[in-house]
Amino acid sequence: MEGRIGKGEKRIDAYDKVTGKGLFASDYVNQYPVLAHMKALRSPYAHAKIKKLDLSKARALEGVIYIMTGEEPGIDWDQYPKASIIAKDEALWAGQMIALVCAETLEIADKAIELIDVEYEKLPAVLDYYAAIEPNPASVVDPEYETRPLGFSDRPGDRASNRVSPNVVGAFKLHAGDVPAAMEKAEVIVEGEFWTGKKTASPLECANAICRYDSDGGITLVSNGAGVHGVIKQGICRILKMKESHVRVIQPYMGGSFGSRLNPYVEIITALMCLRTKRTVSFQFNREEMFVGAPSNWPCITKVKLGAMKDGTLIANDYYLAEEIGACLNNTFFSGRLSSSGVLPVYRMPNLRMDTCAVATNTVPAAEYRGLGCPESEFGIECLVNQLADELGMSPVELRLKNIIDKGERDPHGEVITSIGLKKCLQSVADAIQVDETPEQDMGVWKKGRGCAVGGKQNTPLGRSEAEVWYNSDGSIQLFVSCDENGMGATTALAQIAAHEFGVPVSEVKVTKGDTAITPYDNYSASSRTTYNTGNAVKLACEDAINKLKIEVARVYGIHPSKVEIKGKKAILAGSYVQEVEIPPLFQPTSMFTQGNWGLQKGTPVIGHGLFCPAPIHQWDENGLSDRVWNWFQYSAAAVEVAVNEETGQVKVLKVASSADTGNPINPKLVEVQIEGGVHMAIGFSVNEEHVFNEDGKIANANFSDYRLPTILDMPTCENVHAFINPDPLPDGPYGAKGMAESITIPVGPAIAHAIYKAVGVRVNGYPMTAERILALIKEKKAKEAAE
Amino acid sequence: MRFEQYYEPKTTEECIRLLEEYGADCKILAGGTDLVPRLKNKIWRPQAVIGIGSLPDIDTIKVDQNGLELGACAKLRKISMDPSLAKDYKVIMEAAGNVSSMQIRNVATIGGNACNASPSADAIHGLIAMGAKAVIAGPEGVREVAVEDLFAGPGKTVLTRGELLLKFKVEAPKAGTGAVYKKFAIRGDTDISIVGVGCGITLKDDGTIEAVRISLSAVAPKPIRAAEAEKLLLGKKLTDELLDLAAETAENNCTPITDQRATAAYRKEMVRVWTRHAVKEAYERAKSV
Repeated sequence: MEGRIGKGEKRIDAYDKVTGKGLFASDYVNQYPVLAHMKALRSPYAHAKIKKLDLSKARALEGVIYIMTGEEPGIDWDQYPKASIIAKDEALWAGQMIALVCAETLEIADKAIELIDVEYEKLPAVLDYYAAIEPNPASVVDPEYETRPLGFSDRPGDRASNRVSPNVVGAFKLHAGDVPAAMEKAEVIVEGEFWTGKKTASPLECANAICRYDSDGGITLVSNGAGVHGVIKQGICRILKMKESHVRVIQPYMGGSFGSRLNPYVEIITALMCLRTKRTVSFQFNREEMFVGAPSNWPCITKVKLGAMKDGTLIANDYYLAEEIGACLNNTFFSGRLSSSGVLPVYRMPNLRMDTCAVATNTVPAAEYRGLGCPESEFGIECLVNQLADELGMSPVELRLKNIIDKGERDPHGEVITSIGLKKCLQSVADAIQVDETPEQDMGVWKKGRGCAVGGKQNTPLGRSEAEVWYNSDGSIQLFVSCDENGMGATTALAQIAAHEFGVPVSEVKVTKGDTAITPYDNYSASSRTTYNTGNAVKLACEDAINKLKIEVARVYGIHPSKVEIKGKKAILAGSYVQEVEIPPLFQPTSMFTQGNWGLQKGTPVIGHGLFCPAPIHQWDENGLSDRVWNWFQYSAAAVEVAVNEETGQVKVLKVASSADTGNPINPKLVEVQIEGGVHMAIGFSVNEEHVFNEDGKIANANFSDYRLPTILDMPTCENVHAFINPDPLPDGPYGAKGMAESITIPVGPAIAHAIYKAVGVRVNGYPMTAERILALIKEKKAKEAAE
Repeated sequence: MRFEQYYEPKTTEECIRLLEEYGADCKILAGGTDLVPRLKNKIWRPQAVIGIGSLPDIDTIKVDQNGLELGACAKLRKISMDPSLAKDYKVIMEAAGNVSSMQIRNVATIGGNACNASPSADAIHGLIAMGAKAVIAGPEGVREVAVEDLFAGPGKTVLTRGELLLKFKVEAPKAGTGAVYKKFAIRGDTDISIVGVGCGITLKDDGTIEAVRISLSAVAPKPIRAAEAEKLLLGKKLTDELLDLAAETAENNCTPITDQRATAAYRKEMVRVWTRHAVKEAYERAKSV
């Protein structure tokens, strides 16, 4: 039996999902004979005083079980996920919950919502960074910032002081080298200001949770939220003061997350309603709520100045970044530090100054979105590197190859880069698209251009993953894990690891996943870490089980365990009177005469346990420097050919090549589809997707008709999509593997921006690069040319 | 989605009687692609829903030497694929094929696209470009209205209490007639139009424009004709300068709004771009027949 690593094995959930037989979390609505339903009344205004909230008629309606408001007794809303905080006195964004109804049927809940008598007084709102950052903004989103505790943040440096605006609610500063001196020395300087829009991750399955009230006062929650142990169960126990023994969280198939389901904005409030009503309750978001009531990404505004020598060597980066975080109070992870993390690991940069902050607005709270701010924060840098190449008359490929950091070097933080395959990634995509060649202009008003870019993202150390593996008495393997399966195929990769360790086909490994009463602890799947973190735990668990099995087999044959090798259902023995033995018959059936009081017994597995946890980070100094802040880095390069319609400003991606540095891939096929999915997502948010607000500050395009997610027709045709894997093995990854799925989305946008420049001569400085914006730039350029 | 009564009349008379009885308290179900979401979202709360699918010949597509008759319930997808329309009524096929997704076109009807009276409706512009008439039955008998005159405002038609849109009639086009509908949307058909421009042109033997109809979608409270631009073109041969002027005139004579799909300024600009394309292409088609 050859190894299972590096093989494009079929997904273990493929049949279930393709045939529709698998149960997703939303299918569980049909699994309970009696279910109470929750429905929210949400604010239509971005900022409003609640002048009147009369629930009497709604409460009197037959079938209404409970109505919760911001005045609900015994609640410390500061502890709750931002998007699930029910407004008290004031609504802080259009979509914030004003009241939450629980009723016997959805229809009754709907009716009750209509019967709630609510009056608002519209207040001024700040809807974006530029409005919010004013010294005297129209609205101060969190007037209590100065006195509010930093939640459970462990980063004292993140507290903002000397704030330019009362809406600045977090800060991180870094200075490595001497930027002012380096800028003096620089022979070329390029600078610009960039912004990226507010968008929604839009997994196909809307967020949902069902919480059962158990007769012993415990609860069982089924949802498509991520992190059954670390996020949901721990959240419920901490916030709702439940006993760990009495909270069970189950995650069936989840219909996508892209990071957005890492925030338990449905789960905690549903569990609360369950406890208040002592009923089994269901809270199912609709698509509009996914836009207005579920967290968005965080847009970034960057002001970047790059200093370089004439030979193309980058010497300094003066970098300002602001994260637009929406109406996030009790700011737990916003300071600009996470977004700006991607600035560090890509280029050798002896002088770097970062001044970053988080800015609150009256919009839906921001939270995790694939890439954690890096696609937003690196856009400006990549655009300027391309501009620098143009100004120096260098190839953007060559310029980057000159500056990309090498393995073993330290990034500006002071951390060692342990794995980077980015140069190979860039070379492969540049070759596939022939990015330095000019395409033939043969499409009339559609002008073609080519561009490329690179990107890197950190992997955040996010705590412990555990795994349990059973070697059953018939030789079959069972694996128990609690990582999330967002749809990326992680469980297949984990099954491959177990199959590889035991020397069996993947079909011999049965995976049980995501049930806190059964499967061992995993903090959560984030930061592209599942293959690395849970993967290492699975490998350890297998090694543990194999060691135990060796001891048992060795005991039967009276040899030392080191003389035993496990190959699937066979053991190979050295120095024994037998050379090879079938393992399952060694498991003895229970009999009255043996009782099974020692050794291998039929029906009882040999169990291995694995625990993997990355090393802790080190608190940074006053200059933001530290030799361990992140863990390892994932990289990607992209090259594209686009066509830009000179008359309408539309952009069409004709060809795309994308490459991932995955470390050694466990399953190259899964990596390829992650690359394709990532490219598709990045085309969406860099070209089309954004929240559009109406005059009340409400998202006007909160539906799939007007929020322009890319369809399959927006993707280049199959023969024009190239996916490359360029591994640089990660020393501490399982078999040298590391995660990759977030990095893919970083370079696609800036590559498109440069291709647009090559096609029609305009530099776009923001996401999304909509037809309207590009046409405006084209007209501006023509007007300028006419004036000259 | 609740309503008290559902009717499915078998005769036009019965249907008219029901429409008269309920007036504004009833809604007509044809394909349902506009009705059902509004019932679900409680935007409309009618007492009665009247399904018209069982009326005689209501989904007819009939072509003869006199012209074309399209029943109000003819499905958009069927219209967009009907080979009998390919020769003389291609623009009607194209405009019907431009509405939303294939799934929607499978059930949505041409009459529904008209009576929904959306300012951004696509399918009706094929009819307007061909000078089609809407045939309306009511308590006072049957009347005919030019399709562009069917609309009173967003979501409003000129139909009065008891009236029902039965079908559309298009006269067989004269020789030298070409027509086209250009839908402009970011994600192709699936999106609602940012603008749409329909154009029908009939040329004289000498190549001058004998008749021209330009209709605009999504730039006014209802579908409109670009009358001044038409006037400019009439009786002339098409030149690049004239084309530019007509396009500019169309741009200047529309009053679009800014919404979640586009700004008013962009819409105006797109009217110019797509009027130029539509007129040019209609002219080329007219020349080639």
